[in-house]
Amino acid sequence: MEVTSPAEGAPRKRIAPSADLTTPSLLGLPLAWLVVFFLVPIGIVAAYSVDVLHLPITLGPHGFTLQAWHDFLHGSTYLGLFWKSVKLSLIVSAVVVLFAYPLAYYLALSGTKRKYVLLLLLIAPFLTSYLLRVLAWKVLLGDEGPINSFLFSTGLRSPDHPLTLIDTRFAVMLVLGYIWLPFVALPIFVSLESLDRRLLEAASDLGAGRLQAFWRVTLPLSAPGVFAAFLFVFIPTLGEFVTPSLVGGTSGYMYGNAIVSKFQTGFPDWKGGSVLALFLLGVVGLLTVVFARFLQPKQVVTE
Amino acid sequence: MTEGPDLTERELSRNDLLKLAAAAGGAALLGTRAGAAGAALSRLGAESGRLQVLDWVGYGNDGGQAMSAQYVKRYPKNKPQFTVMANEADALGKITSHAVNPDLFRPYVGWVKYFAKSGLVQPWDPKLISNFKNLNPFMVKAGQYKGKQYGIPADWGFDSILYRTDKVHPKADSFSLLFDDRYKGKITWYDDGVEMFCVVGYLFGVKNPYNQTDAQLKRAKEFLISKKHLVRNIWTSEATMNTDFASGNVWIAYAWPADYWTMKGKGLKVRYMLPKERPIAWVGMFMLLKNTPRYHLAHAYVDAWSSTKSGKWLEDNYGYGHANTKARPSSSDLLRALRLGNPRAVTEPNAHLDRDTPRRELYLKLWEEVKAS
Repeated sequence: MEVTSPAEGAPRKRIAPSADLTTPSLLGLPLAWLVVFFLVPIGIVAAYSVDVLHLPITLGPHGFTLQAWHDFLHGSTYLGLFWKSVKLSLIVSAVVVLFAYPLAYYLALSGTKRKYVLLLLLIAPFLTSYLLRVLAWKVLLGDEGPINSFLFSTGLRSPDHPLTLIDTRFAVMLVLGYIWLPFVALPIFVSLESLDRRLLEAASDLGAGRLQAFWRVTLPLSAPGVFAAFLFVFIPTLGEFVTPSLVGGTSGYMYGNAIVSKFQTGFPDWKGGSVLALFLLGVVGLLTVVFARFLQPKQVVTE
Repeated sequence: MTEGPDLTERELSRNDLLKLAAAAGGAALLGTRAGAAGAALSRLGAESGRLQVLDWVGYGNDGGQAMSAQYVKRYPKNKPQFTVMANEADALGKITSHAVNPDLFRPYVGWVKYFAKSGLVQPWDPKLISNFKNLNPFMVKAGQYKGKQYGIPADWGFDSILYRTDKVHPKADSFSLLFDDRYKGKITWYDDGVEMFCVVGYLFGVKNPYNQTDAQLKRAKEFLISKKHLVRNIWTSEATMNTDFASGNVWIAYAWPADYWTMKGKGLKVRYMLPKERPIAWVGMFMLLKNTPRYHLAHAYVDAWSSTKSGKWLEDNYGYGHANTKARPSSSDLLRALRLGNPRAVTEPNAHLDRDTPRRELYLKLWEEVKAS
């Protein structure tokens, strides 16, 4: 049985000829936006990466060269850092999706009348500044913060040997997870809420248990939402630099920090920084295409 | 103050106009070039608007207003407009990419030669700075390149080690405390590649830490990587480092005198070590951008900064030294800590004055690799 949305079988409305005229004008603005603020900047960054563009203070002869790309691809430092960041982001994304799914499931399918109130509560932290939320964790996880103070008072740790929570990779993952959880829950919630309940009834009529129905109907049909949610957190966390710089310390230093450092805090190395940035963009783009291709709803097929 | 800044007001007083007219008339009568007065008038017209200052956090309207109060009082129509620089490299990037177009900025002494050679800046005219005569001659000399005054010394201090005396017991007064295995997780380094490589250089007894050979740099890099696991974080923001130190997250910091002052003010038991390898000293240097449209205003601003009153305020409130040798802090503790009675406090044999680093780009590239490793 192939599970498809009933809407797919519905006859399509004929598009009026006048719509053909309005479409380009409607698309024009967003397209122009995309070109001016996305494609052109990427082109400029690409030009810096191959030394076609350069800062006036950069010494030496200039002209097209792939030297910076060669150095990057043949060196282990930044590729190693990239891989470390990928692992960290994958863990954060997977764990957050695992936490968010039951939450979104409850809100969407439990039939509670308060679901939108609960949803509002879920996104309530967004009413405060991102920076404040991260800094709050810095206080909570500090060596003399509430968590360690509790451990001292219960005798589980001595004040001379506090539990090191802040300035660790764990702190980065924890804070990123906390920050991105609502972002992850929302697309899953939307995909679950738009689920056709008749399919679940049909599964039940055909003898499927609740778990079986979830496994064979609900989960596959909510997969696009899960996929979108995963990407929502994976892409930004891979290039994240604010949270690691505030709570990561030396062990939580990520690829995004290296890019910022190349452009800003070190000697301005826009060539090297551009290479790092474009590599990140390329990998993220590739992953998005791959994931998108293999997780289309039409491909959800049950026996 | 000289006549220079008076000639910079956009709206001239009647007296100013009369003086200028008299000057122009006098020049014509004396048979000097008629264009001189015209040029002065033209410069006056052009030198307008708010003075654009690129400076460090805490030196603009976020706490350091007192330093430019005299200037603002005199030139209320040309108040300084501040942009923040994270460090010299950041300033360099901002200036060269035209993200900002400052009239003046304040790198530290080690960058004077670099900026002077870059063609981005022009020398100052000390005659337009009435307080120039009171500035420390050793610092004034450090601001020169090829005999011209590219840098006007302002604040100064040391880069050394701040530590908690109730938690830390150094084996010796040495930079080695930054790499002490006993304090794993309680140490913070400063995010400046040149400084960190120089610290290691001094620790290893390298002859010229500011111009190390490839082999010396390689050894220093490997050493820093091998010790990085001891370090809690590498600070870029002084405020963040202060928070970490005050909250007990770190006990040992590569820090500035102001941080010692701040922590002491919070009641912490702290000491600012002057290591046996001798501390690195720094001097803030105002530099004037080439083609600045506010040449005289910039001089007036620096003159206000250079006054004894400003110097004392800086010492009392920020815990740094000031290049004005007449400025004295209220605290005798600070006077001793900064060795303010010794005009050679920042130079050999008392300290290593930060200086030009010919291979700066390489130092910082290697430092980036240390952080990314």
